[in-house]
Amino acid sequence: MTTDAYQLHNIKVHYKKRCVLDIANLSLPQNKCIALLGDNGAGKSTLLNLLAFTAQADKGEILLNGQQTSSPLSTKQRQSIGYVSQHPLLLKGSVIDNIMLALKLQGIKPKFRKDLAQAALKQVNVEHLADQSTSTLSGGELKRVAIARAIVYQADILLFDEPFSHLDQHHYQQLEVIIQQLSQHNKTVIFSTHNRLQGLALADYSVNLVNGKVTFSPLLNLFNGHLHDHIFDTGKLQIHTISNSGNAHNIAIDPNEIIISKQPLESSMRNCFNGRLTLIAEEINSIRLTVDCGEIFHVLISEESLSQLGLSLGDTLYLSFKSTATKVF
Amino acid sequence: MSYFSDSLAGALQLITSFDAAIYKIAFTSVSISLIAALIAGCLAIPTGIAIALNSFIGKRFIQHILNTLMAMPTVVIGLLLYGLFSRLGPLGHFELLYTPTAVIIAEALLIFPIMTNLTISAVTSADPRLVPTLMSLGAKPISLAIQVAKQMRFAILAAIITGFGRAIGEVGAAMMLGGNIEGFTRTMTTAIALETSKGEFETGLALGLLLLVIAFLVNFILSWLQR
Repeated sequence: MTTDAYQLHNIKVHYKKRCVLDIANLSLPQNKCIALLGDNGAGKSTLLNLLAFTAQADKGEILLNGQQTSSPLSTKQRQSIGYVSQHPLLLKGSVIDNIMLALKLQGIKPKFRKDLAQAALKQVNVEHLADQSTSTLSGGELKRVAIARAIVYQADILLFDEPFSHLDQHHYQQLEVIIQQLSQHNKTVIFSTHNRLQGLALADYSVNLVNGKVTFSPLLNLFNGHLHDHIFDTGKLQIHTISNSGNAHNIAIDPNEIIISKQPLESSMRNCFNGRLTLIAEEINSIRLTVDCGEIFHVLISEESLSQLGLSLGDTLYLSFKSTATKVF
Repeated sequence: MSYFSDSLAGALQLITSFDAAIYKIAFTSVSISLIAALIAGCLAIPTGIAIALNSFIGKRFIQHILNTLMAMPTVVIGLLLYGLFSRLGPLGHFELLYTPTAVIIAEALLIFPIMTNLTISAVTSADPRLVPTLMSLGAKPISLAIQVAKQMRFAILAAIITGFGRAIGEVGAAMMLGGNIEGFTRTMTTAIALETSKGEFETGLALGLLLLVIAFLVNFILSWLQR
């Protein structure tokens, strides 16, 4: 039986009397790559700080690898977590000084430190920067050195807060590869991103946060509005749904469940909108279309579908989806 | 005018001829202030770091007390310690009155709140990511304090130097507790006060100039550290 890397129960975090995180129950499995998805201010960083034990919840408990935790963490528990914040801070001095400090603070014996440090730098392709001063690193290099510092003591759980922010395409792809490699080496990798498609593509499993709460929807095509008699009104569109919960204010439509056509379809699907194609973008294993129907919809289709339909920007398209493809919360 | 210019010329003559008495006084002054600054630093820096890194009930109150103590008149410290150290006082049997030790204790007490406050500001002005970063790397309370001190070493060194600067220019407590005994507890400030009252303006001026040079050096080092 596998234990969960984390189990959270009745977690509440307040900031200036406002509840910024409210999680009744959440289990994060071991040895998986998990994406925390959500908009800015959804509580992703707050949750990661709790998971890294650099902040404490006002209420609730967190089990780490099935064990109770206390503050400060035991040495063994502390060594099981590596954390890279959104804007990592490298201390003054050289890259290798920073890596060695992490090993020293973790109580690793001096004779093992040099080899571990070099292996970690090599793993993230920054071994050539070992003696360079941290003040001269570029943004991408700094992030990779911070990752090396977090993986050097061979933690089982790695936490990355918005690792892809402010990176150019080249560093972005390098980092994707590093995260993929880490998750293949029996590590639990938990990273936050506001790019939901990327999160879904890279992770085995995703946790979606909206206003500090965990929701079970992919959070793409997320619209605000109100629900009345199985119809969700966003102010611009009226979307048929199966739910009739009175106090729901959000609706999300699965981008894989939307059918694209150049002509209106005659079908049992309750929702059909027409709009203008504004963006065609390549994602991992699929094509993302952005269609403006009053509200902006994202639709995922295959490359074959794209070439068959012969789409070009500015085309008028019809979007159809069943009321069961919606999630209201 | 010639009185002043003649005295100034005489004072410079005393300094440039390396007058033994003058330099002995300067040496006593510097060594007493240095020891006081180091003792106060050993206590104030860990206290300041501990106050800055922890949140506890009464933290604000302690900071208010420290701010008040910073403005404490030096003669009041002199007066209180005189009461403690005098033959009839509770610590009279240590026979500390009119010794350099008494002056060192008074000056250390005087600069402790200043150094503690400067250390607190140094730590709280550190990058807000510093403490969470060190904690996530496995720093425990003691190693966390050591690493924070290492990162803020220049600001903390500036606190020690500011304390030294305050101690060397202090006159009230040094006079009351040291007694201005020649070759023993005579410091630059007490000597200036005494020599001037005796009419030895020249010697007073020579010591004053030396004190200014030391103050200039202290400030020069401070501004270099704060660059």
